[in-house]
Amino acid sequence: MNEAESSFPVILSLPDFIPARMLNEFAYCPRLCYLEWAQQEWDDNEWTMDGNFQHRRVDRPSGDLPDADEMEEQAPEAVHARSVMLSAEGCGFIAKMDLIEAEAGAVLPVEYKRGSVPDNPERSWEPERVQLCAQAMILRENGYVCPTGVLYYAQSRQRVEIAITDALAARTLEIARELRCVMQSGETPRPLQDSPKCPGCSLAGICLPDEILHEAAHPNAEAEEDAIRRLYPARDDAAPLYVQDQGAYVGKSNEELVVKLKGTKVADIRFIDLSHVCLYGNVQISTQAIQELLKRSIPLLYFSFGGWFNGICGGMPHKNVELRRRQYRAEYGKESLEIARVLVQNKIQNSRILLRRNSAEGNEDAIEDLRRAEQQAGEAANMESLLGFEGNAARIYFQHFSSMLKPKESDGGLSGFDFTTRNRRPPRDPVNAMLSFAYSLLTKEFAIVLLRVGFDPFMGFYHQPRYGRPALALDMMEPFRPLIADSVVISVINNGVIQSKDFVRSAGAFALKPDARKAFIMTYERRMDSLITHPIFNYRISYRRVLEVQARLLARYLLGELPTPPEFCTR
Amino acid sequence: MRRLYIVMYDISHPKRLRKVFKIMRGFGDRIQLSVFRAELTPKERIQMMMKINPVIHHNEDQVLMIPIGPAGGEIEKEIEALGRPYEPCPHGAVVV
Repeated sequence: MNEAESSFPVILSLPDFIPARMLNEFAYCPRLCYLEWAQQEWDDNEWTMDGNFQHRRVDRPSGDLPDADEMEEQAPEAVHARSVMLSAEGCGFIAKMDLIEAEAGAVLPVEYKRGSVPDNPERSWEPERVQLCAQAMILRENGYVCPTGVLYYAQSRQRVEIAITDALAARTLEIARELRCVMQSGETPRPLQDSPKCPGCSLAGICLPDEILHEAAHPNAEAEEDAIRRLYPARDDAAPLYVQDQGAYVGKSNEELVVKLKGTKVADIRFIDLSHVCLYGNVQISTQAIQELLKRSIPLLYFSFGGWFNGICGGMPHKNVELRRRQYRAEYGKESLEIARVLVQNKIQNSRILLRRNSAEGNEDAIEDLRRAEQQAGEAANMESLLGFEGNAARIYFQHFSSMLKPKESDGGLSGFDFTTRNRRPPRDPVNAMLSFAYSLLTKEFAIVLLRVGFDPFMGFYHQPRYGRPALALDMMEPFRPLIADSVVISVINNGVIQSKDFVRSAGAFALKPDARKAFIMTYERRMDSLITHPIFNYRISYRRVLEVQARLLARYLLGELPTPPEFCTR
Repeated sequence: MRRLYIVMYDISHPKRLRKVFKIMRGFGDRIQLSVFRAELTPKERIQMMMKINPVIHHNEDQVLMIPIGPAGGEIEKEIEALGRPYEPCPHGAVVV
């Protein structure tokens, strides 16, 4: 342990009580418990939602549970108390019990489960029995007589009685002991191997069990086809809304976001179809709309009229403090340079492949130079030399960039898209204007993803933090600049979607006209939504999902689960 | 991952009818009076049920959800309309 490590503890202290539900999760999958409790990850899926739906009656507190010493006098009247919170110091458990029935001096905890009775000899699963046993142990410590508990399966409407035996109590205490051990170790438990539990787990897309096991064993090696299960959707159902018409007003109407221009409705988008909202320049949005977006965790992003990414409004930060602590600590560790090397190397490789595929001929020397820069970047001894290799590669790449542009002859050929070097702030030709705009779109994409995963997007490893610059987003997008942004620019020019007349020029700076910008955004969105074969995991996935997977893998690297930072190189 | 549903309802009180209509606007496109076309993930389907369930009268009203296949699938092309054309709204990014 080095000095920085000892003075910067990453393990958080464990709460005094273990919730009975966490015992259930831990018995089901230790990693699930750790992600949910230590890293505060949560994602609903159909099963957990349905669970809430089935639970709706027992989640409303009602009825009174008499004190243990009054139980004798209460009998023989039956007592039904719902949603009762109790804890016990001896065993160190706490539980919110769905239903407690009391009769003849004894109490009976009833735990609601959404499914039907399992077809096994015990007619129940161990995690559920352990959870119920923890409830019984809490009741006993509070002075109640509690010989049995009940699991109620909502779908088949059946009650299964579970005897709270000494053996079950011993097993419950053993699981609690293991749970404390794992939590205090600060190490995320490994995913289950090829488990049938994973496909139904709501956290599968966050845990990435097959991906993590593969990367831990064979970092960045291509997996065999069908070896890795894609346990999350290949593409998102929700898509962004961009509002760039100056003077537009965004409001909320019931379950929809409504965009009005001079009092006339120009668009309405259901919240369930919305991934994020981007506002450009002088666009107004109502408090009601902002509140609803916050409630639904839909990020709201502000840009200047020209496309400069100003900021993001997204409610509370992610609760995964452990990850942020590791992120800050890594800046002083060896991880920083390792991450930067991979990002730069991947970027150069992806630029080289784009150049090789899209330009006709005569670039062999440049391609060879890029290959060399790629290798040098992978072996860079420090940040300064890495910056040098990257700068050199970028210069070569942009020198040859216009060889990939084949505008229509009717548009005056290449003359309208004259491009020799990259320049910005302000961009001084149409190609640079589009590159800048595309990079700002990609920056916001990563800013959203990094916040969702739990990172601080302003603390980077390669890009040094500077005022208001989302440095980690800039880091992460390096390999994707050629794959997404540059390729969108090439395709809008070569397909004639954007022509030289689509720009306004003022004081030597170029910008897209509103209609052209709309066409540009639509092309960019199609690119983000297009399915590709993941170069490592070999399954079909959209670019937008790839960005999230990369960010989650980087988090796992920083948390010590993976030996190397994740790569992304197109084949 | 979404499935395509035809959701239709029969609500016997105008106040509840209005409420159900408003909820349904958040989940699908109205294609006829009291008939919606909705593309929903399993999770969204349950969200929809959770919103409608407490609003309707369980003896007098009825909401039917008819799954007709995966969203973006072939089945929708087979829908025939006499009279006004059947035109589902496309999803995706919106730029204003």
